[in-house]
Amino acid sequence: MRHTIKVAAVMSAAALALAACGDSGGTSSGGGSTSSAGAKKTIKVGMAYDVGGRGDQSFNDSAAAGLDKAKSELGVEVKEAAAVNGENEAAREERLQQLVDAGYTHIVAVGFAYAKSVGKAAKDNPDAHFAIVDDASADSKGPNVDQITFAENEGSFIVGAAAALKSKAGNIGFVGGVNTPLIKKFEAGYVAGAKAVNKDIKIQIKYLTQPPDFSGFADPAKGKTAAEGMYQSGADVVYHAAGGSGGGVFTAAKAANAMAIGVDSDQALTAPADVKDVIITSMIKKVDVGVFDFIKSATEGKELSGNKVYDLKSGGVDYSTTGGKIDDIKAKLDDYKKQIIDGKITVPTTP
Amino acid sequence: MSAAGLEVGTQPVTTPRTGRQRFTPAQWAMVVAGAIAVVSLLRIVTGAEDIDSSGALSAAVGLAVPIALAGLGGLWSERAGVVNIGLEGMMILGTWFGAFFAIHAGAWMGIVGAIVGGVLGGLIHAVATVIFGVDHIVSGVALNIIGLGAAKYLAARFFSGLKGGGPTQSPPLPNLPTITIPGLSDALGTIEKKQWFFVSDVASVLRALCTDVSVLTILAVLLFIGTYWVLWRTAFGLRLRSCGESPVAAETLGVNVIRYKFLAVLISGGLAGLGGGYLSLVAANIYRDGQTGGRGFIGLAAMIFGNWRPGGLLAGSGLFGYTDALQLRGGGETVHAFLLLFAIILLAIGVWQIVKRHNPVQGGIAIVVGVLTGLWYALTETVPAELTGMTPYVTTLLVLAFASQRLRMPAADGQVYRKGEAS
Repeated sequence: MRHTIKVAAVMSAAALALAACGDSGGTSSGGGSTSSAGAKKTIKVGMAYDVGGRGDQSFNDSAAAGLDKAKSELGVEVKEAAAVNGENEAAREERLQQLVDAGYTHIVAVGFAYAKSVGKAAKDNPDAHFAIVDDASADSKGPNVDQITFAENEGSFIVGAAAALKSKAGNIGFVGGVNTPLIKKFEAGYVAGAKAVNKDIKIQIKYLTQPPDFSGFADPAKGKTAAEGMYQSGADVVYHAAGGSGGGVFTAAKAANAMAIGVDSDQALTAPADVKDVIITSMIKKVDVGVFDFIKSATEGKELSGNKVYDLKSGGVDYSTTGGKIDDIKAKLDDYKKQIIDGKITVPTTP
Repeated sequence: MSAAGLEVGTQPVTTPRTGRQRFTPAQWAMVVAGAIAVVSLLRIVTGAEDIDSSGALSAAVGLAVPIALAGLGGLWSERAGVVNIGLEGMMILGTWFGAFFAIHAGAWMGIVGAIVGGVLGGLIHAVATVIFGVDHIVSGVALNIIGLGAAKYLAARFFSGLKGGGPTQSPPLPNLPTITIPGLSDALGTIEKKQWFFVSDVASVLRALCTDVSVLTILAVLLFIGTYWVLWRTAFGLRLRSCGESPVAAETLGVNVIRYKFLAVLISGGLAGLGGGYLSLVAANIYRDGQTGGRGFIGLAAMIFGNWRPGGLLAGSGLFGYTDALQLRGGGETVHAFLLLFAIILLAIGVWQIVKRHNPVQGGIAIVVGVLTGLWYALTETVPAELTGMTPYVTTLLVLAFASQRLRMPAADGQVYRKGEAS
């Protein structure tokens, strides 16, 4: 029996060690000397990613781009850590606290899942500064928290209009990763935009998983199945807000010889070469701008806090034209954009 | 011949089969035809065209295969008496190794890679449980954590530098060939579009079976047939199963229990790894962190509800894949139509339980649930999005729970066996 316990202990220890290996993103120090403007304060930035982490070619990569820019232009020292699918609240708190303990003064938490843990870590560490992307709730509110949110509904409105203008069948689709209020904001804008163009348009809507199951953001097989269903029942354009599952939507679009719309980053640039030509546009959410603003302002000695909304007006959300597939309708889209900026169109935030 | 290992000069005792009658092929054909007729009727009554479209059925096969392969892995291991809760971890290893081999050596080597990855997982489980006698659950849970951590580490280490790859995903993988029977597929497609009663439904089933079928799907089917044949029709299989029923008796008869168990767990890992490989190579064409999404556990559950037999396991994973495809493709409306079918199935099971099995309690519950589901169908227009995601889980659980009788796990399943216990 003792033998059993010993082996079990060794196994568990090995398991934990390996899991830890997988978790750490790796530290990289950004050029020690700050060449530009000597007066600037050198800060240390820790970034905690959402499920998917760096390399999802979507949401997290956009945040990573902001961090990379800060590293090369501002010379800040950075450390990254990624979340694990299905982890609990304590794991997120622990991750933020570890970054603080390791001497990182500015912590960026990517994704609304961090709301509660940022709120707690901010309270526990009043000297550190936090930024959270995609959350403006009371949970994460604090004097040392910068809440970076985006008007995804406005950007989605534009791509919804693009989908309706491009659709020949009068039938379009929306694949959401996980049924959360945030993703519903995408849906609301998309539907409103499509209906503004063609009020009789048929819109198929599907969420891959229900919270607390967040695997819908990382399951390309499910994304493919859902999009296949939409194309086979007559849709010719599908917009996805499903993070890493979006790759499956593009594969399905390619197989059906139809169109797809990307999200968060300009996916016609980042997606694999064989599916690039199905992506007519992407709803760009400039998480990188938000992250960079937070770090830049901190190096200038001004700590951001409170909620800042990045919308169409401020250029925080936009649509992409890479590939030239929507050049013919660009004038119409820009007209909608202008109307939203001028306040003539109010885009709903809930479907 | 089949019982060669245990016949010791006596007349084999033929136990009368109680309650369980074997279906002849003709009867099976009737059952399948009946099922298609019911679904066809349902399609016409509810107007949910997607309920048995060839697209939905192909998607169902795609979603069922990884679960079925994981379950088949579990079957091998548990038939030899080793509980394998580490299937999920072995699948994760399969997804990564499959992707890695496919990138560097081509799609076919990806299959080999997936099996190798799973076998590595199986090796850890086998060494821990069979050689060292670690509790099977402890080792299995540890393996799930190891699989997850190892794949994350390896992906970050080997996929980061590649074009289109990153720490959490691989570059797109080369495609495995798919098989389509050229003329037949289109002809059946034409019939399917006519939406005739029964004929179109048969056409859509056949079309799903002869259009874009991945070679890995065919391999999976062969593995199921092979497993059944090896485990139930050969002396090797009998010895292996005897290790799961009564290792002491097996050892007294000269079976090398440790070796059989070890081998079974390795095969188990290979099959689960192949299930993971299916996900990365065929279903998604990419390795993604966390893409298994608990399918290993679902496979394990399907195997248990399938009464530790390949047929039951296949039915369970098929049902799960089908309902999952329906809810992913059609959403609320298709699931709503499915409620009616579900109600009918439950009523049928209930009546069968009472009339044939004289099991009024179970039958009564099935009928009550069936009637409630029918009411739900009648009183609503669609199923809310919050509930559609649950469809595969609820359906599989209820149908299998009501239909499967007297689940009997291998008698020595999960017990640690040490060599020489027999003496």
